[in-house]
Amino acid sequence: MKSIRLIKPYFFEKRFLIFFGLVCLIVVDFLQLFIPRIIKWAVDDITAFRVDATRLSYYALYIVGIAVLIALFRYGWRRCLIGTSRRVEEGLRNRLFAHIQTLSPSFFDKVKTGDIMAHATNDIQHIRMATGMGMVALTDSIVLGSAAIGFMAYINIRLTLFVLIPMPMIIFGTRFFSKKMHRLYQEVQGTFSDLTEVTRERFAGIRIIKAYNREKDERIRLEKISKDYINSNLRLVRITGSFFPMMLLFSNISLAIVLYLGGRQTIGLTITPGDFVAFISYLGLLTWPMMAMGWVTNLLQRGRASLDRIDKILQIKPEIDDCSGAEHVKLVYGDIVFENVTFSYGHDKEPVLAGIDIKLDKGKVLGIVGAPGTGKTTFANLIPRLFDVTGGRITLDEKDIRNILLKDLRAQISFMPQEPFLFAGTIRENILFGNKEADEKELVKAVKEASLYSTIKSFSDGFETIIGEKGVVLSGGQKQRIALARALLRDSPILILDDPVSQVDMETGSAIINTIKSLAGIKTVIIVSHRLSAVQFADQIIVLDSGRIIESGTHEELMKNDRYYAKTFRLQEIEEELNAY
Amino acid sequence: MRTDFGYFEEKQLGKPYDIKMLRRLYPFTRPYRLFFILSIFLVIIITFLDLSLPYITKIAIDRYIVPKLESDNFKDVRGREDKVRFLEADITDPEIKAIVNKYSDQFKISGSFALISFDDLSGLDKEDLSILRKDDLAGVSLITAIFIGLILLNFVLNFLQVMLMEYTGQKIMHDLRVRLFAHIQDLSVAFFSRNPVGRLVTRVTNDTQNMHELFTSVISFVFKDIFLLFGIMFVLITINWKLALISFVVFPFVLYASLYFSSRARDVFRVLRIKVAEINTKFSETIAGIKVVQLFLREKDNYRDFARLNHENYQAGMKQVQIFAIFMPVVELLGTVTIAVVIFHGGGQALAGSISLGALVAFISYMKMFFRPIRDMAEKYNIMQNAMASAERIFLIFDNKDRLPQPRVERGYKLPAIDNIDEIEMEDVSFSYIPDEPVLNRISFKIIAGETIAVVGRTGSGKTTLINLIIRFYDPTSGRILINEKDIKNYEKSILRSKIALVMQDPFLFSGTIRENIGQGNSNISEKEMEYILEASNCNGFINRLPDGIDTVVSEGGASISSGERQLISIARAFARNPGLIILDEATSYIDSETEQKIQEAVSNLMKSRASIIIAHRLTTARNADRIIVINKGRIIETGTHVELMTQRGFYFKLNQLQG
Repeated sequence: MKSIRLIKPYFFEKRFLIFFGLVCLIVVDFLQLFIPRIIKWAVDDITAFRVDATRLSYYALYIVGIAVLIALFRYGWRRCLIGTSRRVEEGLRNRLFAHIQTLSPSFFDKVKTGDIMAHATNDIQHIRMATGMGMVALTDSIVLGSAAIGFMAYINIRLTLFVLIPMPMIIFGTRFFSKKMHRLYQEVQGTFSDLTEVTRERFAGIRIIKAYNREKDERIRLEKISKDYINSNLRLVRITGSFFPMMLLFSNISLAIVLYLGGRQTIGLTITPGDFVAFISYLGLLTWPMMAMGWVTNLLQRGRASLDRIDKILQIKPEIDDCSGAEHVKLVYGDIVFENVTFSYGHDKEPVLAGIDIKLDKGKVLGIVGAPGTGKTTFANLIPRLFDVTGGRITLDEKDIRNILLKDLRAQISFMPQEPFLFAGTIRENILFGNKEADEKELVKAVKEASLYSTIKSFSDGFETIIGEKGVVLSGGQKQRIALARALLRDSPILILDDPVSQVDMETGSAIINTIKSLAGIKTVIIVSHRLSAVQFADQIIVLDSGRIIESGTHEELMKNDRYYAKTFRLQEIEEELNAY
Repeated sequence: MRTDFGYFEEKQLGKPYDIKMLRRLYPFTRPYRLFFILSIFLVIIITFLDLSLPYITKIAIDRYIVPKLESDNFKDVRGREDKVRFLEADITDPEIKAIVNKYSDQFKISGSFALISFDDLSGLDKEDLSILRKDDLAGVSLITAIFIGLILLNFVLNFLQVMLMEYTGQKIMHDLRVRLFAHIQDLSVAFFSRNPVGRLVTRVTNDTQNMHELFTSVISFVFKDIFLLFGIMFVLITINWKLALISFVVFPFVLYASLYFSSRARDVFRVLRIKVAEINTKFSETIAGIKVVQLFLREKDNYRDFARLNHENYQAGMKQVQIFAIFMPVVELLGTVTIAVVIFHGGGQALAGSISLGALVAFISYMKMFFRPIRDMAEKYNIMQNAMASAERIFLIFDNKDRLPQPRVERGYKLPAIDNIDEIEMEDVSFSYIPDEPVLNRISFKIIAGETIAVVGRTGSGKTTLINLIIRFYDPTSGRILINEKDIKNYEKSILRSKIALVMQDPFLFSGTIRENIGQGNSNISEKEMEYILEASNCNGFINRLPDGIDTVVSEGGASISSGERQLISIARAFARNPGLIILDEATSYIDSETEQKIQEAVSNLMKSRASIIIAHRLTTARNADRIIVINKGRIIETGTHVELMTQRGFYFKLNQLQG
């Protein structure tokens, strides 16, 4: 129960509300118990003809008065207690979100997005249920249950004891059944996801199904899995379907006991007819707390399990974080040095980069080329510390980048990732993402530099064009240029571009390259590219193969070298010619 | 919990859905009419049982526990003139007579009965009292026995009814699901490219599940709760119509309150679902774009956006809390007020003798029963809305008839069969997915059995589209495709496809064993044939290395089988079909050149007297074909053998140089 501390702050924040809510709840419980008392008095008086119309109207007014009070207090506890659970939900979810944002990319490589989503929704909902209805039901069953028993015992202890016989059965029955239900429910969920998977696979492979005339067989396959699904549903229903009638049966058995023993006692004048009627009313009040007892334990257990799961995530420390004594850096000059850098994605994995030594002075341009999977993107990712080097070190202005505050380090870098990630929102929002303070002039300038201005102007909504989730309405090249404009809008001494022209046509590509050229001398630029014309002008070009630098030099030097670079360059020349075909 | 399926497209959930949808559901329920009738019959019995329990208590009180005979005709022994409740004792019974004689001063004899004031009973000895009231005691036992019998019966019937209802509902959903699946499966490939797989899956799984809720929750509501409500009203009227009518005064208020609150609750419920969907989107978007968020130091802003969304969700949640915090107590209040009315008015009547004490108690019990179903109304209404939304989405798909036309079958006329594919001819074929954006432009060529054709061209030049037309995933926009000199539209689709084996660029395998994937339902492949197929497709090498061999299960993310091996399996699948035409659509892209060479040989061996089309990225693959067709931007720009094309020094020549 260590994880309970997660919800403590919210309980503390709302402690007065919770206190007030609990008071209301207890008041409601006791008021509820009074109504059967009044009914008892009325019935006794009527039996004995001891009452007149005025007296009866008093009884009626008492009941109405109590009912009004109950309604008010009930409103009070619902507002306070259930409201608090909503606050817990909000707070926990905020906290989870904030935490998730601090975790390093490597965490997300290991964990499925769906799992995190499940935490954010299902688990937090379970916790809300446990803290809201769970708390209410717990208090309710304890207070209402024991008070109802008390009142009954006050009327007649012997009868009370007999009436209580089926009650333990209700509690244990509920617990037993809800455990079973939980298991069966999971089974249903399991078959449901099988059903989903089979359906998904069929629709994803529809061409093969059609090409191979498999429609009939697949229909039979689905029929089978659908049958499994309904069968597991029916197994669940067998339990739920017998559970509620059985609970009803138990409480009706109590009623039968009252009828038999209470009836005899009334005849024998041990209790009055009013007592008898009141007993029946109390029994009605008692059934719910008894059923709730079983239900509430499950609710709380589930809530606790969920809380533990959330806690587990919150306990994960970001792999990449400020180390102690990390320095505050305002503005760097821009000299980058890789010293014998090695990197691998895990202890037992092959190194992705090995023995990298590079010195890049401020204002110089470094081009990185190589076949897919040779470590180019990894190289770029190491500088803003998306991952940390496994061996060696990277320095910025002669400082190990691990000794610079992460926030400050990243503020020095404009980065354009290979996958241009866009958020749902307008084009303007997506570009301003790079620099919120930028004014309209700077925005237009960055967009023009990214060769995007005329494209945006051609949209009827211009900058306010809403792009769907992940930018589905845009072409690959447009997305790429938005990401580029985003990076260009940030005025930082280091610019890293991971394959900036892969999805744009030749003409746009050369315009973008010209922009980058114009930044040379002002910023330290690193360009990763498959298209060699994009790095042709660089001060230094390195060719990576299996994580090692196999060639290094200027364009002219590498062409003379006549190896991978020169070969690829000539090929791409022919290709470009073909494109014009 | 189970209504939470499918919060995609929640925003569409706005309009109220009508009963028309139910009418369309009717055909699906028809086969189960009997079950429905039986279930409703059970519901009626259960309702009667539910109603009878308070009534039995009433009988117990009135007949045995508190005798109702009361009178002011008699002057009591002590001369009181108040109304007094008397107990009647039958003095023909000698035992009772003895008691009456023992306390003769408290009894008043009237014919064969002795009367004793209820208050005076306490003066009697306990033993004597139980003898005096032995009939009442026996009556209580009898009525308890009946009561227990009824509650047991109620239990059994309730269980049966739930099972029956659930069984019927599940069966109907199963039928609906299978029909829907078959319908979707028969829709054209174009439909699948327009609709994301995820959405279609949701229709078959979540939406049918939502509709199931309609059956179990709503139908049980309509029958059970409404029966119960009317039943209670009926019983109350028969017990005492005046008191009944007076207590009904509260009902309009209850009805108004429920309707008002359920519409409010529905609105809030909808807002909540949208907010939850938005929160989920934000979460998944942040996770997917975590690198960008961190690189641009946008954690704070992003958190602020999220917190705003989350707070909106909180506010909607609080609104829901507020609505229920008013609604629930108000309904309870109205219920208790009704009880007060019953006590006041009914109590007066009981005093006046026009209603018995038992009836009064029964009235109170019935009143409590009455308010339970009303409280659940809001929730059931939501479920119903949800189910109706799903029903609409499902029927929208059923309404989609996007299929390629099948040849019309006239009486006495049989559709042509294909024994062997002798020749395939493309006759001036053009095609466009989107009007005015042609992907293929006036393509004509001919393949005869025994020939191998290679189609070459850059990505996006229209090669795969060409294949899609031959196998009739799409029909040409203009022009004809002929097989054995007949337009392929004249063949039945399944007959046409049974003669063609397609190996696609992306080797799609189903989860199952390798054997199942190769066999594709054709279980009568002999071991020997299979051996040959595996040999020819070069599968033997890696299959022998797998611990379970050919019975290894291929599964999603099962890293044991590489992309190249998947391609080999899909080639084996094509071989197993024994086709008249084999189409390899960049089927060897993940396979090394050496293996590819072997497969090529196998194909030419296997297809000696049959036709084959090979689409290749790697030009070496095309080299051995009888003819090479070069496509660029949807047009055939060159055609000929490798040698011919190389001497032409055109596009093909340049492509060859490129790959050098």
